[in-house]
Amino acid sequence: MATNKSKSVTFDKITKIFRDPQSGQDVTAVGGVSFRIEPGELVTLLGPSGCGKSTILRMLSGFEQPTSGHIMIGDTDVTNMPPNKRDTAMVFQSYGLFPHMNVSENVAYGLKLRKIPQKEIDEKVAKFLDMVGLGQMAKRPPSRLSGGQQQRVALARSLIVEPSVLLLDEPLSNLDALLREQMRVEIRRLQKSLGITSMYVTHDRVEAMSLSDRIIVMKSGHIIQIGTPSDIYRDPVDTFVSGFVGKVAFFPCEVKGIDSSGCAVSVKGQNFTAPRYSDKLKVGDKALVMARPESLSIGEAGAGVEDGIVTANIYLGNSVETWVKTDLGNVLVQIDNPDVKKIWAEGEKVSLSFDASLTKVLVDDLEQA
Amino acid sequence: MNKRIINFLLMMLFIVLVGGWIYTSVRDEFMKQSGASQRRTVETVTAGYPAEPEDIDGWLKRLAEEANVYRVAFIDEIPMPGEKLSKTPKGDSELSKLIESSASDSEFSKGFDNAAYEEIYRSSHNWTVGANEEQALFFAPAINSRTHDIDGALIFSFSTESEQGFMRMMNTLFVAAFILFAVVIWQLMLSRDPIVGFALAALFLMTLTFVAYPLFEALRLSFLENGKFSLSIWKTILNSEGYMSALWGSLKLGCWTATFSTIVGFLFAFVVSRTNAPCKKLISTMGVLPVISPPFSLTLSIILLFGNNGLFTRWLRVIGLDFSIYGLPGLVIVQTMGMFPIAFLTLSGVLQAIDSTYEEASLNLSAGRFKTFSSITFPLAIPGLLSAWLLVFTTSLADFANPLLLAGDLRVLSLESYIEVTGMNRLGHGAALSILLLLPTLTAFLAQRFWVAKRSYVTVTGKPSGRITELTTPIVRRILVTIIFIIVFFLIMLYGTIFAGCFVKNWGIDYTFSLENITEAITRSTDALFDTVTLAAIATPIAGITAMIAALLIVRRKFHGKRLLEMLLMTPFALPGTLLGISYILAFNHAPIILVGTAAIIIINYVIRELPVGIEGGIASLRQIDPSIEEAATDLGADQATVFRTIVLPLVRPAFLSSLSYTFVRSMTAVSAVIFLISAKWYHITVLIYNFSENLRFGLASVLSTVLIIIVFGAFGIMRLIVRENANLMKNVT
Repeated sequence: MATNKSKSVTFDKITKIFRDPQSGQDVTAVGGVSFRIEPGELVTLLGPSGCGKSTILRMLSGFEQPTSGHIMIGDTDVTNMPPNKRDTAMVFQSYGLFPHMNVSENVAYGLKLRKIPQKEIDEKVAKFLDMVGLGQMAKRPPSRLSGGQQQRVALARSLIVEPSVLLLDEPLSNLDALLREQMRVEIRRLQKSLGITSMYVTHDRVEAMSLSDRIIVMKSGHIIQIGTPSDIYRDPVDTFVSGFVGKVAFFPCEVKGIDSSGCAVSVKGQNFTAPRYSDKLKVGDKALVMARPESLSIGEAGAGVEDGIVTANIYLGNSVETWVKTDLGNVLVQIDNPDVKKIWAEGEKVSLSFDASLTKVLVDDLEQA
Repeated sequence: MNKRIINFLLMMLFIVLVGGWIYTSVRDEFMKQSGASQRRTVETVTAGYPAEPEDIDGWLKRLAEEANVYRVAFIDEIPMPGEKLSKTPKGDSELSKLIESSASDSEFSKGFDNAAYEEIYRSSHNWTVGANEEQALFFAPAINSRTHDIDGALIFSFSTESEQGFMRMMNTLFVAAFILFAVVIWQLMLSRDPIVGFALAALFLMTLTFVAYPLFEALRLSFLENGKFSLSIWKTILNSEGYMSALWGSLKLGCWTATFSTIVGFLFAFVVSRTNAPCKKLISTMGVLPVISPPFSLTLSIILLFGNNGLFTRWLRVIGLDFSIYGLPGLVIVQTMGMFPIAFLTLSGVLQAIDSTYEEASLNLSAGRFKTFSSITFPLAIPGLLSAWLLVFTTSLADFANPLLLAGDLRVLSLESYIEVTGMNRLGHGAALSILLLLPTLTAFLAQRFWVAKRSYVTVTGKPSGRITELTTPIVRRILVTIIFIIVFFLIMLYGTIFAGCFVKNWGIDYTFSLENITEAITRSTDALFDTVTLAAIATPIAGITAMIAALLIVRRKFHGKRLLEMLLMTPFALPGTLLGISYILAFNHAPIILVGTAAIIIINYVIRELPVGIEGGIASLRQIDPSIEEAATDLGADQATVFRTIVLPLVRPAFLSSLSYTFVRSMTAVSAVIFLISAKWYHITVLIYNFSENLRFGLASVLSTVLIIIVFGAFGIMRLIVRENANLMKNVT
């Protein structure tokens, strides 16, 4: 539809410093962040709370002003532009629906400000309400809608003004699990069909994984990694990212050699070659082998790299999650096709092993963390 | 861009107009003063004009030797307009030359003409005398002290150098200020949030000009004597037995009223929120009603009933009771009747917020009802009781209307400062007395705000429970309800008396039915009523919208000086009306801002006084509203003004409407400040009520009071209707 209108977003060395009103000290919320979102792309800012992701979103929408750096939307420098002049539309965590207007008045608000003829507004509002499946609710006040419906109204209200950039600030965090899944699909569908450049903020990794073209992982005001969901999952840059985007087990190892086939390591005397490894590693370094639950397997005690005791089995239908207590901590092992595989009973002594081709070797930075 | 330039030009035009107005008033003031001192010199010199013609030469010579600020010349005739002189002027030679050459000038004709009528005239433009340019000429009659004839004319010339210097300095200052304003405004225009910047600048300017400046002027004047710093006013006041007895009287009255009001208020609140008494709706209505009754109304009916010619006074005299309602006891009764609603509202809030689970727990632990009351309910309500007491105390101290009619021999400060200003014309004393009144008022106000309010246990549990724990035995309940009904009956009787007063020919003397009072009152008050309504109607929307804007900025914006602005905006709430009124006449009857006698000063006074309540309401209601609602509107392209108009104002509508009706009603019923600010052109109906009562025209006063009561209740009724219509909608604002 409006694909040709999509614009890129560029953050160029953006820093935001707040002054703490209590102590009067300066706090760096965002420290020198640069990235670019391509036209039509959906990029998610993922990170724990307080990492500066919402601040980035609010700087892009214009509610906060960067302390230094430049923000571009397309070819326009918007750094000093007030929010109402920017061609962005935001979907708020708390929806921010106008309680004194009904659904269609809410959706029409942005168009009215643009002085569009009433007839055109009516047609467009009807179209967008149908698009989000709320055609029947046009005359209802927002308070008589469910959370999911309110979120759809907020979405329609933002999309109807055909913004260059759509901003979503944890839009699903107030919904229950089932609705969240539905809305995730819905948002992705609408975003793709309208081809609209979007920035999505969340601390929920599943949301980030399932929605995004690319994910920006943030921590204390800095970007740790930018990449596609699978990059981030399979090839995280450090233990923080790997732990933040999914369950993970780390096995201490020593780097034996690095060549074109990968990184050779020894874990408790056993040798493996992992295809992916952190490029900061040198031969002889103490390092960590990162293994996801699905790359782990359970065998007889003494057969694998780490022994432990099964503490719980969680049956999920297509898989079973087995928790194993080891000296490295509690490790989650995912066993697919449980009907044809052996499930170890709780309390049994077992041993863990991993499929080296699915692992990555990371710098051991757990001590500092 | 074009729009921006047009806005800028409009703004500059506004500044030029206001600046020009201030400029001319400062200039005129200065001219008047420097002119006045020159005129005095002329008068003194002229008075020394010798009786014998042969002394004139010597006199002129002596003057020339003594004087260095002026030159003087004398002509022995009053020339006819447009004609040349027939005689040579004596005295200063250069001045004489000018007189000879310009005698036929119209300015000189005017001067001589005035002198012929024994008036002193200052030339309307300046002249060159010899080598000295810009000299002001004065024409004065030379009156022979023996024959009382006008011998001729004395012409003085004064250097206007200092005036010129002053004007030059002022021009530079104003141009500099203008450029500064232009730069600041242009900067603001270019900023991200021009409207917010302007709103803030306007609020700061407004509060500094109309709150800080008048108060400073009042304080300054109380330390001035003959234009010099002096403690004499304060010394007089603090050493005077009379003034000190007024302070004592105010405190005594405040204490009694506060104590009685708190008791009555607690009684009402307790019965409504802790018992199953009948007619609770009526009790709570009557418990609130007097708070909105216009000033003088309760006093008036007390006088009608118990005054020297009162309805009951005679009967009581018959049974041998001789008493006077004027004085402390009468005032305490009237103030208690008028102010216990403050205590009632505070305390019923407090009692309703005390979770009755505590009482149930106590009863459950087999404590008796009285034990439960004395060990649970009452201790929990103590901070509330203190709070109520202090609030009533402040109100009683600031009260002006009731003592005005009913004080008798009792001296109270609010009244005393009024008498000083209007009766004695001692503005400095008035200012000092009202500042003296501020001390206990402010202390009580601050104690209530920051100490008692923080000590409350009430907010701990939060939710008021719907149930009511019956804390009284049937007998006790019956006794309490009986007392309440006696008070309610008394109140109804008071209102009824005012109403009855309208239809009686001459209260106290002739009780025959008559409509004369009504017709007379209406004809005599039409102008004042029109003025009152007009002024209130102008002030209302200004105060309402300003309050909402201020609340929005305070709640939603971060800016430097926020605390200061809040303080300046809230200060008038704690100020006695008399102080505000006095400081206004002190500050705005001289340059740079002259407003005394205009409608503007009254309107500004209303706005400034009623803003705090509106702002508090706005703040409370904005804190309930999710900021992302406003952000969503901004994000969709609305500028700050549009957000305010389409989102904020509709959402704070209940607070906005109640601020409107509050301002309107309070402006309609204002006395204490407005009595200083009214003029022949702009009168206030409450002052008219006072005048009628003072002249014992109680019938007329009753009619006007009734009219006011109807207007006040009407305004509140309309507001309630509108708010209720929106109640459903507003429930959902989260």
